[in-house]
Amino acid sequence: MKKSFNVKSIVVLTAICAVISLLLAATNALTAPIIEKNQAAAANEALLVVMPDGTDFEKMDLSSYELPATVTEAYKEAGGGHVVKLTTTGYGSGFVIMCGVKADGTVSGAVCLSSNETLGHEKTFGENFTGKNVDEVVTVDTISGATKTTVAYRNAVKDAINAATILGGGSVDIRSEEEILADNLAAALPTGEDKFTKLFLTEVIEGIDAVYTADNGNGFVCVIGEQFIGVDETGAVVSGAEGDMAANVSAQIAILNASEETELDLSAYTDLPSALVSATKTATGNYVLNVKGAGYGINGGDDYHPASGEYIYIKVSMTKDGKIIDCLTVSQAETPNFGSVCADESFYGQFVGKTEADYEAVDGISGATLTTNGYKKAILRAFESVKILEGGAGNEE
Amino acid sequence: MKNNNNLAVLTKGILKENPVLVLILGTCPTLATTTNLVGAFGMGIAAMVVLICSNMLISLLRKVIPDNVRIPCYIVIISGFVTIVQMFVQAYFPALYEMLGVYLALITVNCIILGRAEMFAGKNTVLKSALDGIGMGIGFTIALCAMAFIREVFGNASFAGIPIPFLEPYKIAILVKAPGGMLVYGLLIALVYVITSGKAPLKTDFSCAGCPSAGSCHTGACMKKGEEQ
Repeated sequence: MKKSFNVKSIVVLTAICAVISLLLAATNALTAPIIEKNQAAAANEALLVVMPDGTDFEKMDLSSYELPATVTEAYKEAGGGHVVKLTTTGYGSGFVIMCGVKADGTVSGAVCLSSNETLGHEKTFGENFTGKNVDEVVTVDTISGATKTTVAYRNAVKDAINAATILGGGSVDIRSEEEILADNLAAALPTGEDKFTKLFLTEVIEGIDAVYTADNGNGFVCVIGEQFIGVDETGAVVSGAEGDMAANVSAQIAILNASEETELDLSAYTDLPSALVSATKTATGNYVLNVKGAGYGINGGDDYHPASGEYIYIKVSMTKDGKIIDCLTVSQAETPNFGSVCADESFYGQFVGKTEADYEAVDGISGATLTTNGYKKAILRAFESVKILEGGAGNEE
Repeated sequence: MKNNNNLAVLTKGILKENPVLVLILGTCPTLATTTNLVGAFGMGIAAMVVLICSNMLISLLRKVIPDNVRIPCYIVIISGFVTIVQMFVQAYFPALYEMLGVYLALITVNCIILGRAEMFAGKNTVLKSALDGIGMGIGFTIALCAMAFIREVFGNASFAGIPIPFLEPYKIAILVKAPGGMLVYGLLIALVYVITSGKAPLKTDFSCAGCPSAGSCHTGACMKKGEEQ
């Protein structure tokens, strides 16, 4: 008797569960599409902010595309545009950006969804990109004092446009400049085993923009415009050039290979600027100078008294008549993200080819005027030093 | 006489046996969802729908459900209806769904519904159970709305989300917080006692005699003669 009673309990409870499950399944079948539509509409509201004209947004599966690393989500819309969500690293912990890109490749809007940056410029910076295409985006001015944040923002918007192009079926080179350079160098001289260093030039070479040496000593890569020319250690061209150009490259490499430097005894000269640390002279009569410049915190009339206690050390080579062959910031301890820009080739590279008459015209570092002035002063001292070393009259103040 | 009886079943939930203010059931959603009127009304209606449906189904199945598994059966039925209501709210009232959040799903464990299933629907006809569900639902909704009205108007200076500018400088911020909810709740219970002038059974002690539900309770000491457990 008791047993049958228990069986009844089980049967009834199971039956009720089954019926309720059926009811739930029926309700779910009825409401699920509506709920999905509602949620899509809610998500679209955020998308509409960056693409007000967009309709029928649809989330894309990104797994089959090779996109910039910052891209986390993407939506396509009926008009051929895309909305791309990106996570980028800024000054601190980074931020999330939503960027709309129209079918013609211009930005329809960019907003920062969340961030922990210190100054908050990323909240409004996106407005600057509306209506711009990829070439115009990279020219948007960054905000002085928030360079890292705004540069990251700018790069993210560029990534968004590139991602939209790729998602739209186009192809874009998404490598960074460094990666492109590394790839080109490796392609020009495979025996260099992917490790190259830019050569500091001490000789005047004709028709070549830059020379990289393979760290393993297996040769050089010469850059002429967009061309990368591989040269082995003997000076024979192995890739990238033929005929006259190859002959010229071989000839120029021979000049570099033959270059010899002798250390100069500075104590033999009087009136040399105190900024001159050491100097060498090549067999062809060029000078290679190590000079030190004062950066941020120059004190009164003393040109060489930086507040940080560290000078900016600059290596500069020039012809005996005072034309800069090459320039390099060896070390510096300027304020990060401000004066420290003097260690970037984009700054010191500007001095190449300059003389005492026109070196002042190079672009200064935004937000680091004192560093710029100290650097230029050190370059001036280099010009003066060469004149004294050549036996002419110095004009030290 | 019979109609009278049915009417009494319907109306007792509104004041005399108000589930929130007299039976003191369902206090959790009462405190949590009464910070604004829209949420309170939505909560009340949602609970009422579940209450009516579950009361009717349980009443319908009261002869089939074995006594020893009645609570699991009730819970399955109640949670089933709650989930159905939840799906419909999510589909057709997404804003309300956002506002109520987890409390919508928690109707499952609202003691009013299980309480009415246990105390009433399990022993009465489908019609009476439905009327009881409607009455209790209305009582729950009225209590919630009364509380939400006080809390929103005086605590947040707004009515159903519409700002009341002249009250803005006199907001009593504590009313929208949990302690303020408790305060309003207590005052409303007192008010209902005054209105019913003690006609509603008062909890004087912890025995069945002092229980407001003693009239409809059929277990323990309240079990009527001849009834089996």
